Amino acid sequence: MLVLPATVLIALMMVYPTLQTVWFSLSTVRLPTFQTTFVGLANFANILTDPAIGAGQLVQRTIEWVAGTVLLRFALGFVAALVFNAKVRGTAWMRVLVVLPWTMPSVVSANLWRWILQSDVGVLDQTLKGWGLTRLAHNWLGDPHTALPAVMVAYSWAGFPFIMLLILAGLQGVPVEQYEAGAVDGANWWQLFRFITVPAVRGVLAIALILETVQAVNSFDTLTVMTGGGPANATQTWSLAIYRAGFTDYNFGAASALSVLMFLAAVTLLVIYSAANRASQAQPAPR
Amino acid sequence: MTLLETQGGAPRTATVPETRTRKSRAGQHVLVYALGLLFVWFSVGPLLWGLSTALKPEVDQYSFPPQWIPSPLTFEHFVAISHNHAVIRGFLNTLIIASSTTAIALLVGVLGGYGFSRFQFPGRTTLLWSVLFTQLFPRVVVIVPFFITLRHLYLMNTLPGLILVYLMVVFPVSIWLIKGFFDKIPVEIEEAAVVDGCSIPRLLWQIVLPVAKPALIAAAMYAFILAWNEFLFALVFTQGLDKRPLSVALAFFIDENGIRWGDLMAASLLMSIPAIIVFTFSQRLLVRGLSEGALKG
Repeated sequence: MLVLPATVLIALMMVYPTLQTVWFSLSTVRLPTFQTTFVGLANFANILTDPAIGAGQLVQRTIEWVAGTVLLRFALGFVAALVFNAKVRGTAWMRVLVVLPWTMPSVVSANLWRWILQSDVGVLDQTLKGWGLTRLAHNWLGDPHTALPAVMVAYSWAGFPFIMLLILAGLQGVPVEQYEAGAVDGANWWQLFRFITVPAVRGVLAIALILETVQAVNSFDTLTVMTGGGPANATQTWSLAIYRAGFTDYNFGAASALSVLMFLAAVTLLVIYSAANRASQAQPAPR
Repeated sequence: MTLLETQGGAPRTATVPETRTRKSRAGQHVLVYALGLLFVWFSVGPLLWGLSTALKPEVDQYSFPPQWIPSPLTFEHFVAISHNHAVIRGFLNTLIIASSTTAIALLVGVLGGYGFSRFQFPGRTTLLWSVLFTQLFPRVVVIVPFFITLRHLYLMNTLPGLILVYLMVVFPVSIWLIKGFFDKIPVEIEEAAVVDGCSIPRLLWQIVLPVAKPALIAAAMYAFILAWNEFLFALVFTQGLDKRPLSVALAFFIDENGIRWGDLMAASLLMSIPAIIVFTFSQRLLVRGLSEGALKG
């Protein structure tokens, strides 16, 4: 049977890890044998109360990270798409160059930005000093207040071209006649944008929103390479906490419990999203 | 910028005087051009700085004001990384991992995609679910169970182990992409071939595969780029210099003297080249595939 290997692997990949994680989250895991003892919800209780994990702050920081990066990527991607959809002569080459950051491996872009943002000797601080703005030069990644936003910028830099490409693809389907008709009817630019452009790319945006949210929740590379969760946990998100619990502290019970909570959060988000999507589709969209 | 949207329509309305629109149109063009340049600088500036770092001697790295154009130009960093065991080993490991993942993903993708496209059987919808699953499931969540599975299989800290893990992520997407293409090929062509005495393997090889080339390219690229760039799984499932791929080697690129940024940027360039080639080669194809469900890892 042609599909047998694939089906088996898929089942293995979906079902087994899920069950194993759930089981581990309810157990104490002893290394190196991986013997488990059932402890009920003790791991979850530990996570919520352990000040070393700081669940409250962790959740808050993760939400900040996800909201911040998704917003930044969408804002940059949307504006860039509108700019390059205008098809002004001599901008085609620009479009090609703007996409470049997206093609970079994540470790490469993280290292690149770590180098640019180095305190004092990085090119950003050097340039600021060169312009006489010494006051603005800053230890971007070393200061707990600026570390997270700094990594957000690097992360968004690497990802906004993807949003741009998606939106551009969506805009390509809009006939110019629609705008002409709108203008004849006396619509201003905001109305044209709101009632022609936005509906045209709505489907694409919805897909992009899920993908980007999941990716932001998942993101590990950029944060790990640029700051490793520091300074003073300022860039520690839920993903990094799972890694730290499992592979720095070797507490697989805690890591699994953190994973289960993250999985539940992801499922909840998806359910809310699909419900909202269905509700909005039930109403006649202004197409 | 949203003004740009109106430019196709506004000038042709009778109520707006011709001169005014021409002037505002020119203004819009300037605005678009300026914003475009701004985006180019934002995107390319950091890359140019990395390139400049890779091409100038160590003493100039911290010079003030920052030196964008290296003088003197040097290739000493490229020479240095060609003697760097971690980088060379990592590069070879990554090459082996990415090409094996791609080859196996294509093979299984073709067989699975054809099967899912042409035969009815129970559990067909698992495919769609598994595609969604691999794309939407938080990847950090599976590192613990995968870790244990690999230990059981004695594949921890081996290249085949890492390839297996990547295949699990890549399979559903490659099958999905290829199946979508097979769906569009009319069954009648195949029926005619079979009537003429063509076997199924030959049918696949000589009739179906050539037609499905774009899907195969897309699936291959997806697999290759994912395996080439991946960092989290590589970090967890390998230890020591010998088995580490390039991504991990570059993430911990530090010696007793701290980080040699020139060397690191030279090695980063080495790591980026395959990705840049693959992406520019087939940007449009990829975006079409992406907007239909798959995505960059």
